[in-house]
Amino acid sequence: MFQKILVANRGEIALRVIHTCRNMGIKTVAVYSDADDKAAHVILADEAIYLGASEPSSSYLNMAGIIAGAKKTGAQAIHPGYGFLSENHRFAQYCHDEGIVFIGPGVEAIKNLGDKITSRNIMIAGGVPVIPGLSCCQKDMAVFEEIAWKIGYPILVKATAGGGGKGIRIVNSPDEMKAALASASREALKAFGNGDVYIEKFFPKARHIEFQILADKYGNTIHLFERECSIQRRHQKIIEETPSLVLGQELREKMGMAAVKAAKASGYENAGTVEFLLDENINFYFLEINTRLQVEHPITEMTTGIDLVRKQIEIAEGKVLDLKQEDIKPKGHAIECRIYAEDPEKGFSPCPGKIRFMKEPSGPGIRNDSGVYQGFEIPVEYDPILSKLVVHAETRNQAISKMIMALQDYIILGVKTPIEFMIDVLSSRPFRDAEVFTDFIETHFSAWKPCRDMTDVAMIAFIADEVWRQNANSHLTAQSDEAASPWTTLGNWKI
Amino acid sequence: MEYNLIVNREKKSAEAMVSGQAMKISTGSAFYDVSFESISNHQILLNVNGKHFNAFFLNGGDEKTIIINGRSYEVKDADQIDQDTRMEKSFATAATTVSSPMPAVVTDILVKVDDRVVKGQGLIIVSAMKMETTLTAPFEGRVSRINAKISDKVMPTEILVDIEQPKESI
Repeated sequence: MFQKILVANRGEIALRVIHTCRNMGIKTVAVYSDADDKAAHVILADEAIYLGASEPSSSYLNMAGIIAGAKKTGAQAIHPGYGFLSENHRFAQYCHDEGIVFIGPGVEAIKNLGDKITSRNIMIAGGVPVIPGLSCCQKDMAVFEEIAWKIGYPILVKATAGGGGKGIRIVNSPDEMKAALASASREALKAFGNGDVYIEKFFPKARHIEFQILADKYGNTIHLFERECSIQRRHQKIIEETPSLVLGQELREKMGMAAVKAAKASGYENAGTVEFLLDENINFYFLEINTRLQVEHPITEMTTGIDLVRKQIEIAEGKVLDLKQEDIKPKGHAIECRIYAEDPEKGFSPCPGKIRFMKEPSGPGIRNDSGVYQGFEIPVEYDPILSKLVVHAETRNQAISKMIMALQDYIILGVKTPIEFMIDVLSSRPFRDAEVFTDFIETHFSAWKPCRDMTDVAMIAFIADEVWRQNANSHLTAQSDEAASPWTTLGNWKI
Repeated sequence: MEYNLIVNREKKSAEAMVSGQAMKISTGSAFYDVSFESISNHQILLNVNGKHFNAFFLNGGDEKTIIINGRSYEVKDADQIDQDTRMEKSFATAATTVSSPMPAVVTDILVKVDDRVVKGQGLIIVSAMKMETTLTAPFEGRVSRINAKISDKVMPTEILVDIEQPKESI
């Protein structure tokens, strides 16, 4: 049993992990950088260790600093959250060497699954369907051309290392192949220090469906059903839901079994996610295994009633998984919206700044995993995620309605957020019809403009606020709830 | 009172008759019976022709960001903007005065009367929204008058320091 866990992360996921630790009676250690000295995770944890300057390399990627922090505070285990060091096999090894438990899969599994060719070959050997393509690194143009001709265009050129949409090219015809291979390889070499590329079939109309898995140290592996994550912008998910409307019971079971097979084939332990691509003809193919807790894990928690972080900790402690596949009976429908500090009217560009006012939605079946608070200055150095808004209801339609109401009730002032954009996506016909493919936003929302039709009410609100401010100023009793603007604090001007 | 506003780039005019927490607002084409109650600096409850609205505010200079039903509106006072642009114009033609770019409080005065200053030299420090700004000399010359003292509240319209240009450069 762990008495103390160090959470090697920040923001909403650090808070998420700390919450479960507290529920389990486990003490927590936060780590932080200069930019985060007043961050919510530092305030919530029992102890906090300062790591260094704001740049991730000095702070949240500072392996030696984090290990030293765990030793100093007596933490027996480290939870890496997602991002930062969560999928770094060297860090997992480092923890192991120092006698600290890394809450996640084993070093070998992280290493193997982090390489696309290796993981592809593990899956082929394990009988898991993979996307038609090459299964080894190649430099020979003739081989590329022959394989491409066999599987048919369009073709996707992919770097074996890394991710995040880098080192990827779509090839529509043989004459584009040579240039695409060269440029993908160059980009991969620059981004990951490894220019190896391979090719596979490209599916222009595809869905991204993933399965949550749990595996203990003793070979007990189960899945916790799927998450539909096709709504993406800049190759990053923004809205996820479970269950997926396109999976029939038979296909769901088949994919679930494939997910378990994939986990077993790679010797997986702890919580993980098996990602599949589902083509237009509802054929599924293995994409990759994410060897960590996913951002969108709460929707699975909502429908299964299982705390995934608790399971992660129990598995890492060496407990036998106390759940059988038949125990997992998802109920209802859950949706997650990722609330980022970004401007959907400007290509979703990040929008750091200070949160001047914040009001979170609440009500039955509404969960907001937040990492910020009113008055918090969102640092420019890190991921712009502010919170994950999750709803759970009996049916998909009820969940959509609940999410729209929750979004309307979620007020964040001071930074831009995609709240209005999400209201429109959830209200749209294609979303309601579950016509969701990975190109959903490009296809339906590339020229999005918010529908702001209550301009008269906005005008009335402006006048009411002006009148109130004049009255408040003349009494000089304006109850200031923050270090407000000079308009409210400086009283009457001599003009 | 008459209001000329710009709501998300759309011009809107309204005549408002205010009595306490109630207003009658006419836009010419529409008439609104309004009562309102302020909850905080950031929130007002509105009743417009019998319908309730929750409006959330962020006041930023001459512009308010207002959120109603999850939708965001940028609302400005058009009359104020006219003044501002006129002011900007006058600034553009004669950027020779020392004024605060925003409503602010004087936190420090770096020169005294009769000091000789060079172009770009710091004269006065003002603070607004916790951000300090140093106002500098627009040209070389002699400080002939200082029109502010520490802790004064100042507006963009006020000239805080008079500088006399040396005769040969006029």
